[in-house]
Amino acid sequence: MDILASFGQGLLVVLEPQNLMYCFIGVFLGTFIGVLPGIGSMAAIAMILPLTFYLDPTPAIIMIAAVFYGAEYGGSTAAILMNVPGTPAASITAIEGHALAKKGRAGVALFSTATASFGGGVFGMIVIAFLSPSLAKLALSFGPADYFAVILLGLVAASAVSNGGALKGIAMVVTGLMLGTIGIDLTTGDLRFTMGIPELRDGVHIVIVAMGLFGVTELIASIRTNLKGKSDVEVDFDDLYPSKEEWKSLPAPILRGSAIGSFFGALPGTGQTIAAAIAYAVEKRVSPWRKRFGTGVVPGVAVPEAANNAATQTAFIPTLTLGVPGSPPMAIVIGALMIYGITPGPRLLTEQPDMFWGLVASFLVGNIMLLVLNVPLIGMWVRLLKIPYKYMYPTIIVLICMGVYSLNNNVFDIWLTLVIGAAGYIMRLFRFEPAPLLLGFVLGPIMEEQLRRTMLLSRGDPMVFLERPISATLIAITVGILIFGLYSTQRKRRQTRAAQQNSTGR
Amino acid sequence: MKLDRRTILGTSLAALTALSASFAMAEPGPWSDEPVRIVVTFPPGGTSDLVARLVAQYLDTEFGQKAVVDNRPGAAGTVAADFVSQQDPDGTTVLLANNAPFTIAPTRFKSIPYEPIDGFTHLAYIGASAPGLFVHPSSGITTLEEYVAFVETAPMTYGSSGVGSISHILGEAVDAAVGVESIHVPYQGSSPAIQDFRAGVLDSFYDMVVQNSDMIEDNEAVALAIASPERNPQLPDVPTFKEQGYDVVIENWVGLSGPAGIDPAMAAKINETVLAVFAIPEVRDRLTELGITHTAMSTEDYSTLVGELIEVWKPLIIAAGIAE
Repeated sequence: MDILASFGQGLLVVLEPQNLMYCFIGVFLGTFIGVLPGIGSMAAIAMILPLTFYLDPTPAIIMIAAVFYGAEYGGSTAAILMNVPGTPAASITAIEGHALAKKGRAGVALFSTATASFGGGVFGMIVIAFLSPSLAKLALSFGPADYFAVILLGLVAASAVSNGGALKGIAMVVTGLMLGTIGIDLTTGDLRFTMGIPELRDGVHIVIVAMGLFGVTELIASIRTNLKGKSDVEVDFDDLYPSKEEWKSLPAPILRGSAIGSFFGALPGTGQTIAAAIAYAVEKRVSPWRKRFGTGVVPGVAVPEAANNAATQTAFIPTLTLGVPGSPPMAIVIGALMIYGITPGPRLLTEQPDMFWGLVASFLVGNIMLLVLNVPLIGMWVRLLKIPYKYMYPTIIVLICMGVYSLNNNVFDIWLTLVIGAAGYIMRLFRFEPAPLLLGFVLGPIMEEQLRRTMLLSRGDPMVFLERPISATLIAITVGILIFGLYSTQRKRRQTRAAQQNSTGR
Repeated sequence: MKLDRRTILGTSLAALTALSASFAMAEPGPWSDEPVRIVVTFPPGGTSDLVARLVAQYLDTEFGQKAVVDNRPGAAGTVAADFVSQQDPDGTTVLLANNAPFTIAPTRFKSIPYEPIDGFTHLAYIGASAPGLFVHPSSGITTLEEYVAFVETAPMTYGSSGVGSISHILGEAVDAAVGVESIHVPYQGSSPAIQDFRAGVLDSFYDMVVQNSDMIEDNEAVALAIASPERNPQLPDVPTFKEQGYDVVIENWVGLSGPAGIDPAMAAKINETVLAVFAIPEVRDRLTELGITHTAMSTEDYSTLVGELIEVWKPLIIAAGIAE
C-alpha cells in the first residue's frame, strides 16, 4: 500500500493550483501543436523547453510531460481527418482512422481515439507507479558497465526494429553517434570535430537536432504532400458515439494495446511509433474483427492509440530511474532536470519524492484534462486544421527559430537547425528514419562516457562487461536482438527477391 | 458591470497608458537609472546563477536598483566574459565573475577573445567556497595521514565534476603534493559522481565540502581535508590541507566585474552597494547555505586578486594536463 500512499501524496502535489495550471497549459499547447500536421511531440517539447527555465522544477517537469502526451493525443486528429499524421506514431492510427473518416464516421474515430488514448495513458501510469520503485532499487547497484550495457541494448533494439530495416537503422544510429562526438571530450577535455567554430565547443544542442530533424524536415515534407491543404472530411457531430457493438469491441484492444505499448515504451530506445506498429500488427492477427481491418474499424483505431499513449507514459521509467532516456523526447526531459540540478537516476525517487509522484499523478490528471479537452472541443481542433498552410507554416518556422535562438542567444544555432533540417529532408527522400539518428545522438555521449569510465575503473580490462551479472545478461540479450534483426531483414530480402523471380518467370 | 464598447475601449486605453508609462519612467537607482543586466557564465540553477539572482533581488528591494539575470553559458565561461567585455562601460552590464573565464581559461586555452585583467573593471569581490577530499567510510580511512599511507601502496580512483573543473584541478594538486598518481574518473557535475561513489564504484571524490555536509553527518562519506586557507566555521572538524602539511589552497570564488573603462566613481559606488547587499543578514545566511564565505574587498584589491589568482592557478592547470 506504500505505492498508493505515495500516489496520494503526488495527487496532492499536482492538485496545487499552480501545478494544475501548468499541467493544463501543457496538455493544451501539446494538443495544439500535435494537431498541426507535420510537427510532433519532439518539436512541441523543444519549443516549450525555454519557457520552463524560469519555473520551479516540479511544475516545469509536469508541463513538459503534459506537452509530450498532449501532442501524442493531438497527433491522431490530423491523421484521422487528413491522413497527415501529426506525430510519427499517429501514422498507424491513420490506417483505420482515415478509412473510417472517409466512410463519414470521423466523429466515431476521433471519439474512439480519445477513449483509447485515455485508457492507454492510465494503464501506462499504473505500470510506472508499480515498476519504478523496484527498478530504482535494482539500479542503485548499477555501475558504469551496467549503464553501458543498457544503452547498447536500447540502441540495438531501436535500430533492429526501425521501419526502414536493420541496416538503415544501424546506419542512422551510427550517424547520430558521430554527431554526438562533436564538442569537448569529457575524459580529456580536448576539442573534437569543432572545425574551429567556437559555437561547436559545447557540442550540438539536442533541441537543435530535434527541431531540425522533426520540425524543419517535417515541414518541408508536409508542404510537398499537402499542397491541396484542405481537410476533405466533414465531421458529423451527431455521429460521435460508436454503436453498441463497437463499444463492446473497445476494451480488449485497449488492454492489449496498452500492455504492448507499456513494454516498448519502457525499453530504452524503442518508442511510441514502434509500440503502435507492433500493437496494430498483433491486433490484426488476434482481433475478432481482423477480417475487416483496413476498411476502417473501431478496434483498429483504438489499438495503436492505446499502445502509443501507454508507451508515452512508460518512457519515463528508464528516464527517471536510470537516467537513460527511453526516447529522444525524454532526453529533453533529462536536460530540463539537469538545469535544476536534479540528476535523474535511482536516487530521484527517494530524494525528490514529491516531484516523482507529483509527475506520476499528473499523468492521471492530465489524461482527464485531455479527455475533457478533446471530446467536446473536437470541433475546434478540426477548425484549426483549416488554417491555410501559407499562414501556418511560416508561423511554425518562426516559432522554431525563436525556440532555438533562446537556447544560447546565438544566431549560429538557427543556421545549424536549418542545415540539419535540409539534411533530414534528403535522408527522408532515401527512406532513412530520423528517429534512430536522434537516439544515437542522445545516447551516444552517455554511452561513451560510461564506456570510458568503465575502462578507467577496470584499468583497461574489457572483461568487466561479462563479469558483472547485470551487464552480461543485457549484452546477451543485445546480441540476440542483433542476430534476429539482421536475420529477419535478410529473410525479407530473400522473400522479395523470390517473389520478383516468380513474377518475372511467369 | 455592463460591458459596452466604450467601457472596453476606455479600459484598454487606460491599461495601455499605464503600461507605456511604466516602461518610460526609469526609476533612479544608486548608479544607473536603467536596469542592470547581470550576465552569468552557467545555465540557471548552479551556484553562480543563485548568487546572481540573490544580488539582483536585493539590489532591487533594498536599494531600488532594478537588475535582471542573463544566462549566457558556453565554452567554459568564455562566451559570457567575451560578451560583457564588449559592452558599454556604463554600469548597466556586469558579469558574475568566477574561476572559469578568469583564472582557468587564460591558461587552459591557447587564445581567449578577451583580456582577463585589462579588458574588465573588476568591481566587487563576493566570496569563495572550498572543495575537499572525501573517501568511503568502508575504507576505514579517517585522516589524511592514513589516506597518504594507503595511496602510496595502492592508488585510488577519484571522481571529479569534469575535466578542468575545480575538483579535478584539486585532485591533481593533491596528487602532486602527496607524490602519487591516482586514477581520475571525470563526471558531468558532482551529483553523478556522488551517485557512483555511493554505489561503491569510486574509492574517493573531490567536491565542495559544505554542500556535502549531509553526507558527512550521515557518515556516508568521510571528509579528510578542505582546500580553504582556514577551517570552515560550519564544519570545524574538517582540517585544512595546509595545517596537515600540504600546501594546497584552491577556492571557488565569485565576484562582479564589468567592461573596462567604468568611471572610478561609479565603480566605487557599485562596490559600496554590493558590499551593503552582503551586509544584510538574510543574504549572508543564504551565502553560507551555498557554502560561500564572504570577504569585503575594495575594487583595487579585487582587481589585484584576480591577477594573482591567474598566476596561482597557472601551474595547477598545467600540472592537471588540461592546458591546450
